[in-house]
Amino acid sequence: MSETSRNPRRALSRALTRIANADVAETLAQQSGATTPEMSRIGVTGAPGAGKSTLIARLAKLRKVEEHKIAVLAIDPTSPVSQGSILGDRIRMDSIADDPDIFIRSIPSRRAHDGLTDNTADLLNAMEGHGFDEVILESVGVGQAEYTIRTLVDTVVLVLLPESGDAIQAMKAGILEMADIYVVNKADLPGAELMAAEIAQVAAHQSADDWTPPVISTSRDDPNGFAELDAAITAHTEWRKTHLDETASRRARARYQAQGLLSRRIDEIVDADSSLLDLDPQGLFDALIDKLNPKSRGA
Amino acid sequence: MSLNGKRILIAKPGLDGHDVGAKIIALALRDAGADVIYTGLRRSPDYIARVAVDEDVDAVGLSILSGSHKELVEETVRCLAELDAGDIHLFVGGTIPSEDHDELRQAGARGIFTAEMALDEVVAAVEADLNA
Ligand code: B12
Ligand SMILES: Nc1nc2c(ncn2[C@@H]2O[C@H](COP(=O)(O)OP(=O)(O)OP(=O)(O)O)[C@@H](O)[C@H]2O)c(=O)[nH]1
Ligand SMILES: [Mg+2]
Repeated sequence: MSETSRNPRRALSRALTRIANADVAETLAQQSGATTPEMSRIGVTGAPGAGKSTLIARLAKLRKVEEHKIAVLAIDPTSPVSQGSILGDRIRMDSIADDPDIFIRSIPSRRAHDGLTDNTADLLNAMEGHGFDEVILESVGVGQAEYTIRTLVDTVVLVLLPESGDAIQAMKAGILEMADIYVVNKADLPGAELMAAEIAQVAAHQSADDWTPPVISTSRDDPNGFAELDAAITAHTEWRKTHLDETASRRARARYQAQGLLSRRIDEIVDADSSLLDLDPQGLFDALIDKLNPKSRGA
Repeated sequence: MSLNGKRILIAKPGLDGHDVGAKIIALALRDAGADVIYTGLRRSPDYIARVAVDEDVDAVGLSILSGSHKELVEETVRCLAELDAGDIHLFVGGTIPSEDHDELRQAGARGIFTAEMALDEVVAAVEADLNA
């Protein structure tokens, strides 16, 4: 089946599959060169079950104003045992899932351990190429340390739960510093107000270049919180236009992509010849360097 | 042989709320290596076909215990074809009397599964079909 279906949705979705499945050599071959992204990218991250998918459903609806075309890329964890997955984000996005103007694509995390998936950057670029104005990326439910999403999106929304006292500890240790907007979700549960107040205190210290990360309380059944979040994202998008260090951002993306490709290439080499793993560390390192050289590939 | 890399949509069309079988199958396919998406209850064939396209699945598995399997299978096949996705494989499971199997096959179902079949047989049949 070609990617030139008479149904453009099908063509896009087939292209996304090909990109998601591409190995390192294929991925390199299909790079179209660095372009300046036009589509705005919102990353939503936070602990497992924090309510990311439910929130994205509400948010996507609000952000789909007029001709604005929205896509959602939702990543769910791959089982380390079977390599299979249940791509469960979509079912929580029920309320938008029947809106034919919003494109939702679920993707398994595969071997990626950073809450994203292989070739995430290329998947986002392909969505941009198909004319979406904005994409919302949902990471796998992650712990505290994985903030690579930062390098791929313009606005990072971190979704927290009222009872996560751990989060406050982590924030005091400076770990949460990467978010642009904090959301205390499930504000219908006890403890939300206290949580929001404590985070606001930390966020106040995080302000840089006139952006102080807002702290917004949301709850599934209260439209006000989502409207506030929508406005905060728009405000951050505007702010970023004048404060973005394009070189630094492009370099961060390039570094992330190179690291991902190298690490996957190492997996490919070791999967093809696991006896390499019996070498001592220096021997393994040297053997890998040797095999990474394209001239010795296949030798 | 495995289901690694295969994307499968498990869907519940029509009005019946029996979801135990659908969930069991979703987990069994996941355990066999597939990437599984589940639609939730009471979805229209049109909705199911659109999700199948957007998610670029290799197969759609309908779980039907309401007795309306003939209409729902035909309608789903029609909706998939309309979206230029007639090549997506279709399976059906649930309470499907054996006298209806031929008709469902003719309508486009590539496999029909009932509670009498052992789970690993069901998974093996799906695996064989998608790797053929
Ligand atoms: C449990 C049950 C219920 C539970 C459902 C709980 C739930 N959340 O699922 C409750 C009590 C709620 C219920 C209610 C009703 N039920 Co009821 N229920 C059953 C019962 C006893 C078992 C169903 C079940 O869960 N089986 C276990 C699962 C694992 O089996 P399975 O679904 O068949 O799935 C297996 C295979 O078929 C296959 N499979 C299934 N789907 C798929 C999909 C794919 C892709 C693949 C590959 C394989 C596959 O793999 C599975 C694992 O082996 C059946 C009778 C029976 N023995 O089948 C009646 C039955 C399905 N119910 C029936 C009826 C009529 C009803 C009610 C309308 C009763 C009433 N008058 O109120 C209501 C309607 C509820 C609703 N909203 O739809 C009838 C349906 C008649 C028909 N088809 O013409 C049945 C057949 C009973 C009967 N003999 O009359 N029910
Ligand atoms: N009380 C309450 N529960 C909520 C709210 N939002 C979501 N939930 C519930 O929280 C659970 C998880 O919601 P999801 O949206 O799937 O959370 P998630 O962060 O996407 O989960 P993963 O993708 O699995 O990490 C579900 O049972 C939701 O119904 C809310 O505002 N209040
Ligand atoms: Mg989710």
